[in-house]
Amino acid sequence: MIRFVGKRVGHTLLVLFCVATVSFFIVRLAGDPVQQMLPPEATAEQEAALRASLGFDRPLLDQYVSYMTGLLSLDFGQSVFFHRPAFEIILERLPLTIDLAVAAMAFTLIVAIPAGIIAAVRRGTATDTSVMASVLVGQSTPAFWVGILLILIFAVNLRWLPASGVGSPAHLVLPAITLGLYSAAMIARLLRSSLIDVLGEDYIRTARAKGLSGVRTVASHGLRNAALPVVTVVGLEVGSLLGGAILTEQVFSWPGIGRLTVEAITYRDYPLMQATVLFLAAVFVIVNLIVDLSYALLDPRVRLT
Amino acid sequence: MSDRVLPTRRDVFRIGGLAAATVSLGACASTKPSGGQADASAALRVSLAADATTLDPHKQGDLPSMNVLINIFDTLTVRDTADKLVGGLAERWESKDDTTWRFHLRKNVTFHNGEPCDAAAVAYSIERLIDPDTRSPIVELRLVTGAKVIDPHTVDLLTKEPDPILPAKLSLFGGVIVPPGYIKEKGDQAFAEHPVGTGPFTFEGWQRDSQITLKANPKYWNGKPTIERLTFKVMPDPSSSLAALQSGEVDIVTGLTPDAAEQLGQAPGFKVVTSPGVRTYFVSLDTEEGPLKDKRVRQALNHALDVDALITSVLNGAAERTPTLIPRQAFGFDPAIQPIPHDLAKAKSLLAEAGHDGGFAVKLSSSTADKDVVQAIAGQLAQVGIKVEVELLDPATFKGRLVSDNRKALGAMYFVGNSGWTMDASSNLQSFVRHDRRQSRWNNPKADELIDKEEQSVDQEMRGQAFGELQKMLIDEAPFLYLYQASILYAVSDRVQWKTNANGTLAMATARLTTS
Repeated sequence: MIRFVGKRVGHTLLVLFCVATVSFFIVRLAGDPVQQMLPPEATAEQEAALRASLGFDRPLLDQYVSYMTGLLSLDFGQSVFFHRPAFEIILERLPLTIDLAVAAMAFTLIVAIPAGIIAAVRRGTATDTSVMASVLVGQSTPAFWVGILLILIFAVNLRWLPASGVGSPAHLVLPAITLGLYSAAMIARLLRSSLIDVLGEDYIRTARAKGLSGVRTVASHGLRNAALPVVTVVGLEVGSLLGGAILTEQVFSWPGIGRLTVEAITYRDYPLMQATVLFLAAVFVIVNLIVDLSYALLDPRVRLT
Repeated sequence: MSDRVLPTRRDVFRIGGLAAATVSLGACASTKPSGGQADASAALRVSLAADATTLDPHKQGDLPSMNVLINIFDTLTVRDTADKLVGGLAERWESKDDTTWRFHLRKNVTFHNGEPCDAAAVAYSIERLIDPDTRSPIVELRLVTGAKVIDPHTVDLLTKEPDPILPAKLSLFGGVIVPPGYIKEKGDQAFAEHPVGTGPFTFEGWQRDSQITLKANPKYWNGKPTIERLTFKVMPDPSSSLAALQSGEVDIVTGLTPDAAEQLGQAPGFKVVTSPGVRTYFVSLDTEEGPLKDKRVRQALNHALDVDALITSVLNGAAERTPTLIPRQAFGFDPAIQPIPHDLAKAKSLLAEAGHDGGFAVKLSSSTADKDVVQAIAGQLAQVGIKVEVELLDPATFKGRLVSDNRKALGAMYFVGNSGWTMDASSNLQSFVRHDRRQSRWNNPKADELIDKEEQSVDQEMRGQAFGELQKMLIDEAPFLYLYQASILYAVSDRVQWKTNANGTLAMATARLTTS
């Protein structure tokens, strides 16, 4: 087990190193922050002076080496536009992103698990068809549209909930539903098909034969065995929710990591772009690592391979 | 599969009920919208399309930051509601010689922390702005070499060459005065997070990317604002900000596009306010290469455009035609100069004369933000046989190419807007006309000479003449396709009384709320 964990952690670090290197060079292909900062009427001398004071006139390799050494002490550099350390800016946005991700995931599970179970056990009936049809709609509706629709209904017409912004739990409801809808639909589908497979297994017949009730059969034998693929997907979804939901955050003016990433790209703010890319990559590989490790706990066979 | 495997109907309801209960719990917890209605009577809430990047006025150059900061800080000079240049922190000023401007400061002005705003503070602010270590993106003061304190209320600004419009430039953020004692004591970072100025509002709080709150400054030298609290809410999505206006969470929505304004329509409770802007839009032509080298072709293209139709059909009337690059409000605008008339027959005959009666193909680039207009322009030019290939670029790429050293980076034609915030024609022409300027694609020694004349003289009459001649040349030589100056659109709640200003920043000192 320790070897397994060690190997996985090593992989994770290697991936992060590669991401840091690639992102460093790629952001520099995207354009120049100095050109975005200055108004068009700036002279060439003013531009050169600003570039020099930001250190962007140094040789590329030189900049790369100081970036990588900085990373060792969690120094991601100073954001060009915000005039503050990039890491500090990310940390500031993180709690709000986590709030939204947790709320969205809660909504996802509350909707997806019952929907998936009902559809699986009522397979082929009108209930199944209508649940799956709603799921299909949920999965194929774009977030910005759902968001605007929810705002129109609950904020503009009914005035139950605020249209956007942060500040109270009420602010969380509409963005969490918007964000969770897609994952809910996906997980419901996955749970349904996984559960249908499991319910056809011999041990389910055995459980029924020994007189277990329908609910207990599904809950303790069916769900538990159907959980493995669902856990993987839930894990990856948590990763992408933490990575920031760009459209949802935009529609609901939610100041999370997703919007920060867009801002960094819009301004071509190299240090902030590098930091957000690396952060997103770190979230994904760490979530993946946790999923892998939890696999090993859920299914002893994984450790052997 | 037998029925016995299935959960009973009651089980299903139990699971479903749990979900429903949780959802309705969430809804119950939130029946009170917290959009700020509690203190709505005293608070004015304004939407911003993006957060301020920093609240250090010397380190920003983006509209959202300016909108906030214009309410916290004062500048040496200001534009009044009639766009006239009047005193701000400076009561009056005069030119001592070609390279010295003297400013006489208003007395008894203090910063929000009690520090006096005197000549030393002005000198400190100017020196801080031009210091390369400040990394300021503000470029207007490029000719200023320093400031000299004469007495506590008099200060001289020194320039390396004559700068006739320096007082006008100081009505922008180059003329912002910051507190020396506070910055020295707390440091740059603390100042950027908790700004202290002399302005009508004091800083209260900033939740990043969400909102910035300001409070009325009771000791403001120009009288305490009637609004108690001013909140800027960051709302990047235009439809959501309009929804927030409709649900009563904000009072003013900024940065409205003409189609969004139309969408809002005639709904009760708020109105769309159109304010004349100073940003002019035009198409830059590469006069050094290809068919556009021929002045007759450039004239023909101008004749082929129906600018009035563009304004009514694409911009819903939210613009005013400009004969050249200079907006109507700017010093130097010559009302006698008429726009090039829309005349397809003339356009065709000029093209034929130049040997292009079959038309030609050309590329027109723009930022995606302006896609509707450029597509309409392409359509109009097609009527005289010009096959325009439109290339749309994301705004950052567009700007990168616009300011790059390669003047052909955006192709033979590009659509661009330019704000002359000093309200002096000099700003509208400075980057685009003289042959050695960064965005110029026209080499005409006579025009260069006229630019030198208006830029280097402090004699306003002489400058006015130079501008008049320049505008005649711009019409005759047609190095650009001239279009319009765009209006600024706001959606404003009926409870707000507020006079907009032409440069588009949201100075709220004189805004009022009706108590209904």
